[in-house]
Amino acid sequence: MSITLIIFVLILLVTLGITYWAARRTTTTSDFYAADSQLTAAQNGFALAGDWCSAAAFLGFSGLTALYGMDGAFYALGPLVAFCTVLFLIAEPLRNSGKYTLGDVIRSRMQTRSSLLAAITGTIVVNFAYLMPQMAGAGILVRLLTGISYDWAVIFVGASMIVYVAFGGMLATTWVQIVKAVLMLGAGAIVLVLAFVLVHFDPLSFFADTEVKYGSSYLLPGNYLKNPFDQISLGLGYVLGLAGLPHVMTRFYTVPDAKTARRSVVWVMFLAGAFFAATTLFGLAAASFVGQDAIRAADKGGNLALPLLAQYLGGGKDSFGGELMLGFVAAVAVATILAVVSALTLSTSSSIAHDFYVNWMKAGHVEGRQEVWIARLAAVVIGILAIALGILAQGVNVAVLVILAICVAASANFPVLILSLFWRRFNTGGVIGGMAAGLTSSVVLAMIGPAMRGSEAIWPLVNPTIVSLPIGFLGAVVGSLITTRDFENEKRFDAFLLQVHTGSAAE
Amino acid sequence: MVGDDTRIDAAHAAVRALIAAKVRFLLPMTIIYFVGYIGLTVVAGFAKDLMAIKVVGSLNVGFTLIALNYVLSWILALIYERVANRVFDPLSSAAVTSARGAAR
Repeated sequence: MSITLIIFVLILLVTLGITYWAARRTTTTSDFYAADSQLTAAQNGFALAGDWCSAAAFLGFSGLTALYGMDGAFYALGPLVAFCTVLFLIAEPLRNSGKYTLGDVIRSRMQTRSSLLAAITGTIVVNFAYLMPQMAGAGILVRLLTGISYDWAVIFVGASMIVYVAFGGMLATTWVQIVKAVLMLGAGAIVLVLAFVLVHFDPLSFFADTEVKYGSSYLLPGNYLKNPFDQISLGLGYVLGLAGLPHVMTRFYTVPDAKTARRSVVWVMFLAGAFFAATTLFGLAAASFVGQDAIRAADKGGNLALPLLAQYLGGGKDSFGGELMLGFVAAVAVATILAVVSALTLSTSSSIAHDFYVNWMKAGHVEGRQEVWIARLAAVVIGILAIALGILAQGVNVAVLVILAICVAASANFPVLILSLFWRRFNTGGVIGGMAAGLTSSVVLAMIGPAMRGSEAIWPLVNPTIVSLPIGFLGAVVGSLITTRDFENEKRFDAFLLQVHTGSAAE
Repeated sequence: MVGDDTRIDAAHAAVRALIAAKVRFLLPMTIIYFVGYIGLTVVAGFAKDLMAIKVVGSLNVGFTLIALNYVLSWILALIYERVANRVFDPLSSAAVTSARGAAR
């Protein structure tokens, strides 16, 4: 355990150094929200990989594969395919039409206050639904890995993210993500090579060995997600939900133009995709070498499969190599959480400061320097709130929130964003209708489903996206059609299209 | 917006040409990854027997299709980048040029 702490303190010192460096370069709103849009494609690609690989991806996918076989491999595939949606439809139009937030895109299309408020709601609901389980997960994980108590672990994670975001803004957040992504990929590569050496570079032996140990059903679908519709619903949630996550969208404002945004998505698809594919092999290797019983004994959900595999490959328990590998992977897992919660805090504070305070309350009449201070203050307040919620969440079932985050992103944010970008007739009524219908149906179905109510569920699916997504789109279309046509908006649409597709304003 | 209507129309026509090119490439590509991935989840849910057929050793059709989905996503990403650089970007520049002409 002491090795974990030493490595982790090193990572912490590096990230604090980065924050100090970034803070001196963060003065304008563009610096704070978007790192002055000066990142290269490779930098943003690594940062996106750091952004999108939460602890659920780093530890969870391997654990699910170790315990449930093929269903874990499905969990890992979706997040890569999701980037096809982002690359084809979202990344470049967002870069071209927005400035810092989802609210900016909706506001420039609709130019109404109520549509901006709907975008703020979508941003904050998704971010908090994402942030709270991350904080709770951080508490459990840091306690498990270092031995400090849950409450202190949450306070420690929360305090670190407040420092990164409030002082260093997007520049610090980005570099924390890049450091995390490099560490994560490095740890993954080491584990993969060691595991391959052990089986003489024949990955097929992982399949053969686990089939012998756990039966042929282990290599088949349906061990974790029993209902076939849940499998499909999860897939839809991933593929369209990623494009509705505000903290991921914000990353496209950190590059200078659409071409760089495009190239950065290709980067992340190869970086994160390779990692996701490797988690399937990690899971099989862990089930083969460490064994399901030992993995379950360490953590019922399987989250320690990868650290235990690393320990085994390093030489086993109580060997120096084993403890070093365990410590390294564990420290990277904590860094992973820090990078994700920082991005969520930054995205939420941008929405509160830029969308809500400056553009909604003050109609844009706020001086730049003052806006940066408001955004910093918002980051501190959100961080403290996240710490409080994280502590309250101890022992509460947060699984439903994880589902809710991705489901609301797919069912409310995604329809509103895509129709804003591509449908002339779409209006403020549609924004509100889509947001309300997608949000309500997601929340209600998640609350009456098995994730919340267990065996007493009224609704059969864990992930409601397959139903809530069409409801969200329906709400957006019906909302547009039953309210008065906004002819001014439709007339502006040609100019908006020019902006969306070329990044150049008409005037 | 200043500028005469015919030139604004020309700018809008250039944007429409860009959008038409995007639809021509992106519609089939979107259908391919969507059907490929969502189709795989449907097969996983309803045709377990198919997924169980062995390909090499203990490796079955299911894991093979998952691996192919990774490769498919990567290939589509590279194709998209190539098409965007060679087809979309020139059309986009043309639209910007005619829009600037319209505003002058």
